[in-house]
Amino acid sequence: MFDNFLIRKDSLKNDVDANGNVVGFQFAARNANYRGVFLSLHNGYYIKVDGVEYPRELQTFEINGKEPRDFEEIKTAVWEHWDYDDEGIIHVAKPGGLASGKHTIDFQQSVLAAYGYMPTDEEWVKNPPVPGSGAGSDKTKNIVSYELELQK
Amino acid sequence: MGKIKRGVSLYSYQQTQFFNELDLEGQIKEIGTNLFGADGIEMLDEMSLRQYPNPPEEFFEQWFGWMEKYGTTPVTMDVFHDVLQFRDHVMSYSESADRLKNDIRLAKKLGFKNVRTLATTPVEIMIEALPVAEELDIRLGKEIHAPIPIHGQYVQEIVDYCKETGTKHLGLVPDMGIFAFRPSEVALDWYVRQGAKKESCDLVVQLCMDNYTGKSNELNEIDLSLYSAGNVESLFHRYLKEDKAPEDLVAAFKKMKQLIIDNVPDFSTIDFEVMAQALLLSRTKPSDLEEILPYIINIHGKFYNMSEIPGKPGQYQDIAIDYEGPIAFLKEIGWEGYINSEYEGQRRFQDRGVEDLMSEIDQVRKHQEMLKRLIGE
Repeated sequence: MFDNFLIRKDSLKNDVDANGNVVGFQFAARNANYRGVFLSLHNGYYIKVDGVEYPRELQTFEINGKEPRDFEEIKTAVWEHWDYDDEGIIHVAKPGGLASGKHTIDFQQSVLAAYGYMPTDEEWVKNPPVPGSGAGSDKTKNIVSYELELQK
Repeated sequence: MGKIKRGVSLYSYQQTQFFNELDLEGQIKEIGTNLFGADGIEMLDEMSLRQYPNPPEEFFEQWFGWMEKYGTTPVTMDVFHDVLQFRDHVMSYSESADRLKNDIRLAKKLGFKNVRTLATTPVEIMIEALPVAEELDIRLGKEIHAPIPIHGQYVQEIVDYCKETGTKHLGLVPDMGIFAFRPSEVALDWYVRQGAKKESCDLVVQLCMDNYTGKSNELNEIDLSLYSAGNVESLFHRYLKEDKAPEDLVAAFKKMKQLIIDNVPDFSTIDFEVMAQALLLSRTKPSDLEEILPYIINIHGKFYNMSEIPGKPGQYQDIAIDYEGPIAFLKEIGWEGYINSEYEGQRRFQDRGVEDLMSEIDQVRKHQEMLKRLIGE
């Protein structure tokens, strides 16, 4: 659900560190559900920009006014809530960032929320699904493609 | 004679809230002001509350202020059950009951009379939380959502427990989706835009209608009474991808797949998903409500698309769900609870631009027109 609206259209920009180096890019996303969830359930993203995949290990997530956290740390935020109204910022490490102009982003969110117990529960505790398989994405089962212009 | 009361589940305004068109107060105002006398509020805790599970203290005062200002009343709070919250283990029944107890306390603090759990929340968890519900005089209801039927284990175990113990604080929240007899036209249109064949849509409607009118018996042998619709859909998706499914689902999944293979030329995977929509029907009859009547806490007025009744300007219907039969039955028997509008068709318009989105506000107003008319206010 909200397939075409999960990424804010004017949110793609490069990330610059304290020394002025371009270290990656970022964009803003919403929860692909009709409600918020505990942040710990948030299992990362399938992100492919112009044909290049950026796995979960290169991603950090910024929410609730805190510094960006990687998904190992997010996993431990078991009592922190990602409220339905709130936008999170996804940061992706990529030295040099993205070139100016338009980019195609293939995107799928993985949040391990379901309707109660599921046959996959034990398996997902041991081996959380890799985002992009559709697992943990039951409200937006398919990978959605966005055309976004890099903002200054 | 009893009087059925009207309310709205804020679930209906999920998209309006997503796009910041109405905030929580705006949604409550819409219900109190524009729905010709509806006053009931049903709310999903993790959708409407900020800083769940501990909203700031000042929120509670604000909340009751809104209820007074707009003439509305809190009816039911809907809660969830995310069993992987702790991530290092699957939440146990006891941990789940603790979460539920906290939700019951939160509901009480917000003036709700009832708490709705998911259809799939095991009854043992509800029973463990029941003493808190009894102490706070909150009725705890399990949602009965398609494809779960009234004649099934999930309903029976609640009814049995109520009969054995005499508790007045456990019950059921039937969702009108159990009276759906065909997939919604807006769901099928969505599938066609995703690449499904028109023939598959016709085939699934035919199968469902033949079953509804008694011409065919094909769907009656399928028992999905222990699964939520969302879970059936994701399990079917997984079945198509990895050929893996729980054993009790394999036969039904196979059958839907085969119907497409046998009948639809040039099919693709998405055509199987169209056919699987037939698995999401509960095939419930209005009179089935009789045996669960004392345990009904409130009813979810699920709908997918309100359209004008041909030849009757200003009157609306959902062509996929029987409302006339169940409401006539509830009136006759003198049932007095709330039916809360629960619009679920919005997601079927979200695959295109903002200009194609359906107005939830308008859909709920049309649904309330239908309820008011059928109730006979």
